[in-house]
Amino acid sequence: MQIYLPIAEIPVNIILILLLGLLTGFLAGMFGIGGGFLATPFLMFIGIPPAIAVSTSANQIIASSVSGLLANLKRGNVDIRMGIFLVIGGFIGSTLGVSIFRFLQKTGHIDIVINIVYVVFLGSISIIMLIDGIKTITAKKYNIIWEKKQNSKMEKFLEHLDKWPWQIYFPKSEISVSVFIPIILSIGIGILVALMGIGGGFIMIPAMIYILRMPSTVVVGTSLFQIIFIASNSTFLQAVTNNNVDIVLGFLMIISSSIGAQLGTRSGTKVDADSMRSFLALLIFLVCAKMFLSLFTSPSELFLIEALKQ
Amino acid sequence: MIKNSTLFILLFLTLFAANQKSEARPIISGISTNEINIDTKFNGTEILLFGAKGDAGDILIAVRGPKKNFLITKKEKFLGIWHNGNRVKLKNSYSYYSFFSNSGDKILENDIAKDLELGGKNLKFYVSGNEESRKNKNEFEMEFVSNLEQQKLYSINGNVIDFLDESLFKVILKFPKNIARGIYNVEIYLLDDNNLVSFQTIPIYVNQVGFSAQILDFAYQEPFLYGLLSVIIALVVGWLANYLFARFVGK
Repeated sequence: MQIYLPIAEIPVNIILILLLGLLTGFLAGMFGIGGGFLATPFLMFIGIPPAIAVSTSANQIIASSVSGLLANLKRGNVDIRMGIFLVIGGFIGSTLGVSIFRFLQKTGHIDIVINIVYVVFLGSISIIMLIDGIKTITAKKYNIIWEKKQNSKMEKFLEHLDKWPWQIYFPKSEISVSVFIPIILSIGIGILVALMGIGGGFIMIPAMIYILRMPSTVVVGTSLFQIIFIASNSTFLQAVTNNNVDIVLGFLMIISSSIGAQLGTRSGTKVDADSMRSFLALLIFLVCAKMFLSLFTSPSELFLIEALKQ
Repeated sequence: MIKNSTLFILLFLTLFAANQKSEARPIISGISTNEINIDTKFNGTEILLFGAKGDAGDILIAVRGPKKNFLITKKEKFLGIWHNGNRVKLKNSYSYYSFFSNSGDKILENDIAKDLELGGKNLKFYVSGNEESRKNKNEFEMEFVSNLEQQKLYSINGNVIDFLDESLFKVILKFPKNIARGIYNVEIYLLDDNNLVSFQTIPIYVNQVGFSAQILDFAYQEPFLYGLLSVIIALVVGWLANYLFARFVGK
C-alpha cells in the first residue's frame, strides 16, 4: 500500500511507516527517549530527503512524548518543576546550537568532529551506566557487595555542585539542587541536539540520573515532558523557515507512535528500574557502536547527491 | 494512459493521413497525454509518444525535466575515518533526462548534437566549488549521471525508437515515482548528416493534484498555520491515544 507524500515528493509504503512509528513510540514510552536516532536514518534510507526526515521525526516525537507523558503523569512519575527548568535551558541551548551549526557548516568538515565527539561521549556514558546497572542487579540478586571507591572524582565533582548558590528543593524528585545545574545542563544538551538533529533523551536521561541524581521512577516522565517542548519548537521553526515538515508522513507516524508509546509505558512498569537502566545503557551502547563502525567502514555510496530547493 | 493507446494510435493515423494529403511534413508526432497528475496514489507513470517522419534522416528524441541545482559531496578517508570531503554545486542541471535514438554514437559527435545537448555525452554541466573539486569536475559529473540513472531519472544509453514501418515510430516515456514537479519538454529532432531538418517540441506538465496539491500549497502559502497545525495534530493524537488506552485497555 503506497501513499504519495506531498512535501517529500515521493511515495512510501504505509505499513512500513506505521511499523516504524510503532517501534519509535514504544522506545519513547519505555525509556523516555525520542526515538529520532532510529526514525531519521530509516526515513533517509527509504528515500526521504534528509532535511525532511529530520523535521518530520521531530513532529512525530511530539505525539509519542505526549502519549507517554500522560501515561506517566497518571502514575505521578513526572517532576514538572524540574521539567520547566530543563525546558528553559533547552530552548536557549537549541537556539544557540542552530547558530553554531550554521557557522560550522560554512567552515566545512564539521560533521566528522561532531560524530567523533558523539561516539566518545555516548560510548563512555553507556559503559558507565551498563557497569553500574550490572553491579546493582547482581548485588541485589546474589548479595555481592561491590567495593565503593571512597571520594571518587565524580563524587567530588557532585559535592562541589552541591555548594552552588540558589538551591531549590524539588519535592517530586526529593532532591535539592542549584537552579543553575539543570539550566546549564539543558543548554549544553540543547546545543548538542541542534547540532546532531537527534539524541536529546539519550544524553538527558543519564544526566538526570548521574548529575541531578533524580530517582529512576521520575526520569522517564520528566524527560518526555522536556522533549515535547523542544520537539514542538523544532517542528514549528522547520515548517515556517524551511517548509521541511511533511504532514502526511508525520500523521502516519504520529498515529502509530502514540499507540507504541502507550504499549511502551505499560511494558516499562513491568520492568524494575535497575534492569531498565541497563537496557537503556545497552541500547545507547549499540547505537554508539554502530556509529563508531560507520566511521571506519567504506560507505556504500561514495557520493552524496541532493537536489537543492532553489 | 497506455490502455487508451490503440484509440490514440488510430486517431493519430487518421490525422497523419489527412495531413499527408495537404502537405508533406518532415516529422509529425503526438503524445498520449500532456499532463502527469500526481495524486496520493501516484507511483510513477508512462506516456506513449507516437510519430512519423516524412523525410530521410535520423530521429533523435530527448525528454528534459525542470532544471535544478544539485549538491554533490564526496566521502573521503582521513586517518582511516570516512568524512564528507570535497563538495561541488551543479547549477541548472536537468532533474530528468531521457534520450532515444537508433543511430548509434557517431551522430552524437555532430556539432549540432553537441549544441542541443543530445545524448548523455553531450550534457553540459556548470560546476562550482573549490579549486580541487573543479579539477575533478568529470568525476562529479559522472557520479551525478549514474546516481540519477539509478533513480531512473536519467535514461541515456540503449534507448531505441520502435519503428513500426519505414516512417511510423513509437516510444514509451517512463516517469519514475520521484519526478519533480514542473514543465518537461519532449523534443523530437530529425537530423540528416550534420543538418537539422526539422524538430518538434511537446510540453508535459507535471503537477500535484487533489489532496496532495492542497497540502503542498498550504505548506508554502501559510507556513505559520501549517507549522502550528503539525504541532497541534501531534499533541491531540498523543492525548487521544492516552485517553483511549486508559478508557478501553486500562493499565
